[in-house]
Amino acid sequence: MKLLPHWVSRPALIALLAALAVLAVLPKALGLSVYVQNLFTETFLFVAAALAWNWMGGYLGQVSFGHSAMFGLGGFVSGRLLLAPHLPFPLAWIVGGLLAAAYALVWGHPTLRLRGPYFSIATIGVGEATRLVMTYWEEFTGGSSGLSLPITPGLKSELYWWGLLVMGAVVAASYALRKSTLGLGLLAIKSDVDAAADVGISPTLMQDIVLLLSGFTVGVCGAFYASYQNYIEPGDMFGFRTSISFVLMAVIGGVGTILGPALGAVIFVILRQYLIGSYPQLYLGIYGLLLIVVILFEPLGMVGLFFRVARRFGLVRPEVQAKAAVGGAASAREGGVP
Amino acid sequence: MQGFSITDLVVASVLLAGLYATMAYGLGLIYGVLRVVNLNHGGVIMAGAYVGLVMHEKLGVDPYLSIPVVLVVSFALGIAIYVGLVRHLPRGAAGGVQSLLLLFGVWLVLQNAAYLLFTGNDQTIRTEYSTRSIPAFGLFLSVNRLVVFVIAVLTMVVLHLFLTRTFTGKAIRAVAQNPDSCTLVGIDVERIYSLTFGIGTALAGLAGVLGASLFSFNPTYGSGDLLKSFVIVVLGGLGSVMGTAAAALILALVEVFAILVLPAYLTGAVGFVLLVLVLVLRPGGLFGQRVLG
Repeated sequence: MKLLPHWVSRPALIALLAALAVLAVLPKALGLSVYVQNLFTETFLFVAAALAWNWMGGYLGQVSFGHSAMFGLGGFVSGRLLLAPHLPFPLAWIVGGLLAAAYALVWGHPTLRLRGPYFSIATIGVGEATRLVMTYWEEFTGGSSGLSLPITPGLKSELYWWGLLVMGAVVAASYALRKSTLGLGLLAIKSDVDAAADVGISPTLMQDIVLLLSGFTVGVCGAFYASYQNYIEPGDMFGFRTSISFVLMAVIGGVGTILGPALGAVIFVILRQYLIGSYPQLYLGIYGLLLIVVILFEPLGMVGLFFRVARRFGLVRPEVQAKAAVGGAASAREGGVP
Repeated sequence: MQGFSITDLVVASVLLAGLYATMAYGLGLIYGVLRVVNLNHGGVIMAGAYVGLVMHEKLGVDPYLSIPVVLVVSFALGIAIYVGLVRHLPRGAAGGVQSLLLLFGVWLVLQNAAYLLFTGNDQTIRTEYSTRSIPAFGLFLSVNRLVVFVIAVLTMVVLHLFLTRTFTGKAIRAVAQNPDSCTLVGIDVERIYSLTFGIGTALAGLAGVLGASLFSFNPTYGSGDLLKSFVIVVLGGLGSVMGTAAAALILALVEVFAILVLPAYLTGAVGFVLLVLVLVLRPGGLFGQRVLG
């Protein structure tokens, strides 16, 4: 098959297309209630966001606690475009994503020189500063009272398929980023920045590319979320809680893998749905506990656990391992001081 | 300028710097000795504030008199976190992100425990001298802020003496320099690690109860302080008491004087922006090269 690049495995492609096809007909076939369908939509959104976070946190090993900056920016730019020039929403999403990507580059390009924990700390500062400025900037975000978006009838259920589309594209992009030549370069950078630079990989360029892609995707996710919610508020969109939900989904699911963050997002949405009503604060605590357990016992999260169990029962050959590593775990030589 | 004089602002900065130095020193000490970024620092600051609140409301103990209790509780908490969790991770660069995420998990758990126990409402510790101030040098100084400053300065002096004059303190500094050589000369490195983690955490708890007597707090209290501590540690270099104090003063001055040019709501962002700038502009001198002492 000459149509595909050599790194695309056909079974993986078929599996993805089949999964998307099943999900596409699911609401009609099963006659899902609006409530369940919306849960699916939300899950698609968070799968996409968690995977986009994972390009930075998993593939590059640069754990960002500041992705809410792009999520919020994408959401508010798209919200403003829907309100005033009445752009069609796919266009507004793309513009939101592009501006989010540009913002990501502005703060990310200088901070990505930092490695490991230092980058993570800087991103906390970026995220929180952005939240404060955006909450203050009332002309743009509506301040703490937020922004109400025009409600289009029928849009919410239509968003199911849009969400599926976004998620499908992000899964495919994750696969490409993992398997292509660019992906190999990212793995090299994660293992050892200096050695990668020595063999002719430009860490700066690669990191900026991933940052742009990740920022764009998370921006689109924020824009999607704005359309889905009809109401957005800077304290929530730019909040630290939004940033850490991406981290939690990816790390608990299995950082650096494709299935892991997706699985983490599914669990996150379900757990939140059940807990948020009765214990609005508790669900993050439970995620904190899960995070501790994962880091201590199974750095590859749910995916690592799956492979461990599968090996135990002889379902996969012993040498088969989840092919990824936690940020930092494999990068033993990543210098403390950049 | 709503009736502020420059002297007022400078004095306010100096008083604030004492608190900042205390909280930053704990973070710097743990990083310097264990090479672990204690992302749970903010969680312990919050916990310290709530211990002070419980002591005050349930037992009627003055917040300043509850300091020994807070120190013991947060020291024990630190030892428990080290022995139970941090000890099992690879240390140094390899475990950098892992221990960061792990301690972040601990922070989330602490924060949500506080939500369950105390709800998310803002709390304050009010004493009869909360609003009292005394005239000095032609200014009116808040009693609370003065007391906090004095306690902070005493803490720094005691720490400095501990690290430079006692055997254990010298052992801590030796481990910071080279843990492998320490095992050779008979220092129990593992014990020093847990002790250091305990002391660093106790300092966070102290900063929490001191902060609680000045500001209102809720379960998210401490996240801002965590970032401010990073700014100070990055600016001031590692483990040097003077460097930490100077950096704390710089941060306090920048924050306080930002009131003159920025709307009050945005002054909180100054610390965050400063953090990113310092990290980006001084990456080489990050956390300083100086060893404790």
